[in-house]
Amino acid sequence: MLKIENVFHSYNQKEDILKGINLDVSKGEIISILGGSGSGKTSFLRILSGLERPHKGKIEIDDVLIVSENYFLPTYKRNIGLVVQEKGLFPHLNIIKNVCFGLIGSKEEQNKVAIDLLTTFKVNQYQDQYPNSLSGGEQQRVAIARALAPKPRVLLMDEPFGSLDRALRESLREETKLFLKSNRITCLMVTHDEEDALSMSDQIFLLENGKLNIQQKL
Amino acid sequence: MFYKANLLSPWTLLSLLIFCIFASPILIVLASLFGEYSDNWIHLYKYVLGGYVYNSFLLIIGVSTISLFLGIGTAWLTSNYNFFGKNFFDWALILPLAVPPYILAYTFTGLFDSYGTANNLIREIFSLNSEYIFFPNVRNIYGAIIVFSFTLYPYIYLATRIAFINQSRSLREVGETLGFSKFGVFFKLVLPMIRPAIIGGLMLVIMETLSDFGAVEHFAIQTFTTGIFRTWYGMYDLQTAMQLSSLLLIFITFFLVLERYSRNNISYTSGSPTYGKIENKTLTGRKNILSFLFCLTPLSIGFILPISELTNWALNYKLDFFEANFIKNSFNTIYLALLAAIFCTFVALIINFSGRIQKTKFFGFLSSALALGYALPGIILAIGIMQLFIFLDNNLSFLNFVFTGSILGLLVAYVIKAYAMSNTSIESGYIRISPYMEDVAKTLRASNFKILTRIHLPLLKTSFLTSIVLVISEVIKELPATLILRPFNFDTLAVSTYIYASEERMYEAAAPAIAIVLVGLIPIYFLTKTIRSSRPGKEN
Repeated sequence: MLKIENVFHSYNQKEDILKGINLDVSKGEIISILGGSGSGKTSFLRILSGLERPHKGKIEIDDVLIVSENYFLPTYKRNIGLVVQEKGLFPHLNIIKNVCFGLIGSKEEQNKVAIDLLTTFKVNQYQDQYPNSLSGGEQQRVAIARALAPKPRVLLMDEPFGSLDRALRESLREETKLFLKSNRITCLMVTHDEEDALSMSDQIFLLENGKLNIQQKL
Repeated sequence: MFYKANLLSPWTLLSLLIFCIFASPILIVLASLFGEYSDNWIHLYKYVLGGYVYNSFLLIIGVSTISLFLGIGTAWLTSNYNFFGKNFFDWALILPLAVPPYILAYTFTGLFDSYGTANNLIREIFSLNSEYIFFPNVRNIYGAIIVFSFTLYPYIYLATRIAFINQSRSLREVGETLGFSKFGVFFKLVLPMIRPAIIGGLMLVIMETLSDFGAVEHFAIQTFTTGIFRTWYGMYDLQTAMQLSSLLLIFITFFLVLERYSRNNISYTSGSPTYGKIENKTLTGRKNILSFLFCLTPLSIGFILPISELTNWALNYKLDFFEANFIKNSFNTIYLALLAAIFCTFVALIINFSGRIQKTKFFGFLSSALALGYALPGIILAIGIMQLFIFLDNNLSFLNFVFTGSILGLLVAYVIKAYAMSNTSIESGYIRISPYMEDVAKTLRASNFKILTRIHLPLLKTSFLTSIVLVISEVIKELPATLILRPFNFDTLAVSTYIYASEERMYEAAAPAIAIVLVGLIPIYFLTKTIRSSRPGKEN
């Protein structure tokens, strides 16, 4: 489903931060990539989402090329969802408008999709409120709902539970996993937290020195 | 990372086009140095240029000395001591910035001329006849030095005050324990530590002095700006006027480089401040009174005196703000200033947005280069734009649009002069917007245009408004560029003040001058807010 071949990336054209990444992910599979700070795991997600362009390598989704040395599909055409630790909610839009931001179709259709997702992630009661009135955990639930609303082909998550306390973390992990599995959404998560990786994933990779070199199948 | 700039992106192309428009008047002026030199130039070079240089240097030395004394002295007192009126002087000492030097010059002559208000008042009090004159003639270079010093010292006050506030108190205490007297600590430790801030403020004072036209013209002092104006308007020699402008531009560039250099080094002035509650020493007795008087003097001369004199004129003339000419000129001014402010803000938005989405240093460089426009004297811009428009009129006649004499020239000049203000507002607005929002928006199928209109613009509302207000207040004061580039029979408040003052119709100059000063108070409000929020240990 997601095929990554020999991806290289650097920020200064001197030293590669990613040195030939290869990865095959099947539909509905949840993959975690573990790595310390500066290991390049966020860069890897940014490349998949189209926010960075690799200087070498090839990526395909559903056998369709999205990036190679001569081709680059812009982010907004990739249909990839992104959740970041900082949430990135739009502070001037209320919760339902945040979730509807990436949706197309009539307003009624958009609202229905948004309310369903907000209900799934137990934040539907806040739909008319603004992000700053929600707690960190509630904001992250909205961020995940917003990323899932346009039915992305792949969901990318960058330390999605990093800023939450233990109890919240566990419940949100479970809810997210349940939703991803029941809807067969492919997901790639990068984290430095082994517990997050172990509880969420079908496979775990370790990103070290720019290479994905340890693999654990659960 | 220059290599990353996508040259074909419409945002890059638009930004480059803006850069070319900004740069072309300057390049045209500088190119004149390589053109032909007329007899007028030879005459100027032989008989007048030396006078321009001498007067400019005398002005710089006099204004720098007095401004440094006033700016550092008042900043030191208000940052470190409690005395009578201290909380008032904190912000009031910036008020003279609202008075353009040319308006202070007009009120100075109105006050201190032989038959001016001050002499008349004293003669009236003591029932003396008109042969008694109590104040020296101010229509000379020394009068100009006073005028510039008392309107421009706030630049040094602002820069040094922020530096003093952020300076580590413990370092001074260590100095005292090492055997330095209080004066020793001040001159050997405190001042050297804030040197970049002082130089930064001083360079702004010098650049403003060199750029001025209205005040030196009123005092009939031969400087570069008056020379440029006369060469063009008196001799109708645009080429020589441009060559003179180039020399002034080289002068200004030297001070501009020093200012930028000191700004880059400003970080070391902070030391390691002792944050938390700052306890200022309370002054009593003679020291209390002297400190009060020391702060009151520049405020009185730079703000209270001109305002009083303007009010006096206004009352004498039975000030009529509803007079037809005043209304027409106010409308012209607001119309121009608002248009310029909107243009300027959009230009700053385009450059900042392009930098934001392309994430390259190229746009940072571009923005810094464009922001240098604030240092360009209006008269140089006017000459460069005029020459550019003459070229466009000669070569683009098929457009059926006459560039020369249209308000387009004024708008270009204003946008170049005020871009730095807009950029500061928009840039600080962007700093508050998390880049993650754009990243996420892109994955939610948002194009760059949608990101701009649906996310950035709503979040930049306050910055937008601040930028518009600041540019309006800057543009309203601008005199030489407006004087030269305005369309035929199109006056603004600044131009009408200048015309009334040059015809010695001071009473009539009161209404437009008061309006200019009142609008000039707006940025003071923002500056005051900045100063208050910069004090360590205080909440923003």
